[in-house]
Amino acid sequence: MEPHKLFNMRLAFILLIAVFFPVTAAADWLWGGADEPQPQPQVQVVKPFIEWRTGPASGYPVFHASEKGEWLTLLKRKTAWLKVTDVKGREGWVHVDDVLETVDGTGEQVTLNEPRFDDFGSRRWEVGILMGQFEEAPSTAVYGGFLMTENLSAELWATQVLGSASEIRMFNANIVHQPFPEWRVSPFMTLGVGHIFIEPKSTLAVPEDRDNSIGHAGLGVRAYVTDNYFIRAEVKDYKIFTNRATNEEALEWKIGLSIFF
Amino acid sequence: MENRIKHILLKGALIAGLAMISSLVTAQEDDLPLIEPDVQPRAVDEALIDTENFEIGVFTGIMNIEDFESSFLWGGKLTYHLSERFFFEANVGFAEGGQTSFEKLAGNVSVLSDDERDYRYYNVNLGINILPGEAFLTENYAFNTNFFLIGGAGATEFAGDTRFTANAGAGYQVLLTDSIAVQIAVREHVYRIDVLGEEKTSMNTEVSAGLSVFF
Repeated sequence: MEPHKLFNMRLAFILLIAVFFPVTAAADWLWGGADEPQPQPQVQVVKPFIEWRTGPASGYPVFHASEKGEWLTLLKRKTAWLKVTDVKGREGWVHVDDVLETVDGTGEQVTLNEPRFDDFGSRRWEVGILMGQFEEAPSTAVYGGFLMTENLSAELWATQVLGSASEIRMFNANIVHQPFPEWRVSPFMTLGVGHIFIEPKSTLAVPEDRDNSIGHAGLGVRAYVTDNYFIRAEVKDYKIFTNRATNEEALEWKIGLSIFF
Repeated sequence: MENRIKHILLKGALIAGLAMISSLVTAQEDDLPLIEPDVQPRAVDEALIDTENFEIGVFTGIMNIEDFESSFLWGGKLTYHLSERFFFEANVGFAEGGQTSFEKLAGNVSVLSDDERDYRYYNVNLGINILPGEAFLTENYAFNTNFFLIGGAGATEFAGDTRFTANAGAGYQVLLTDSIAVQIAVREHVYRIDVLGEEKTSMNTEVSAGLSVFF
């Protein structure tokens, strides 16, 4: 194992963690939320009843129901399910849609930050992982993007291409423009620059590493699915600026899932 | 006369009775629970509700590396639960390839150097909890469980090169508490390799047990 390979492997993993780790979750986890213990939020049932399940999924059985007028304390949340406790100390899981139909201590209807399609248009950050093909070889990429305006965003990409003859790594930065941000399936175009590192397979006769600057342009589409995620697909055309007489060109397509915040 | 007094008294009792019933009815209409908890007039602050959609864990097991024996495997995982059903998972794993049969039989030959026998992989996957359930330890005590299918792609670094690797498998997870879980899983890692002459598809089976924490 050459040390730089090990480093690259680690870098890939750290990037992955960084990309998938929302800052707020990390902060809550590290510092355990507020300094002084505040009481957990309480809500009052206003529907005729709310069903409780034994676990945070619709497959778990209903074992209890809270009647209209009862107060529930919200303990924690997993995906779309909230763990609640009542005055008798029972504990169970209630769906977020039911909690959104309760009222809080001021008598107002409860609002929780539920990502909806409306939030897709006003997102600030997006991260995702895409897979596809770079010329003939399988390609995996992670990216993070920041939306400067609703039309324009800036992105950073790390890509690994594992071909039968070589291993390619690319780091890219690009600008993305989406002309119709309000569409559920929104097309975009990209333009960017980066650097490519090509390392031929060790079984080849004369392996010689090389790295070059690249420029690229692409077309793609984002399709909102539900909650805070969307499918992203794109085709990019890369121009590899070699120090030989001719430049090289490569076509890449990929598809993947992204989360927005 | 006596009748008349009786009539007035009875009428009074009737009115009093009706008044009591009507007051009971209005009390019921208020729908107040008998025990009113000590509730402060405060809006729900979402920051006070701990969300546990991430999961981080470690695992150990056996990795069967095709042509290179089976060996001890260890690694880590990071999971993000998109919904009750779907989750993203990233894995890294480390093992070490043993000797091929040829090396053992022929004696003093070595197909790979020691460094090249280090086996590392990473992958990113999409998982689906297909059978949520409960496992009953005693009559009154149950653990929540998940049977999941998982598949994805990544890279394996072995025998001097990094290879594109697809993987798929299944596992069974038992949640000891809401935040701590144990799991057993089986995965098949598939890649193309040409170390022993012609290029061929290499099937590598991983069997592992792991511990994870939700946060």
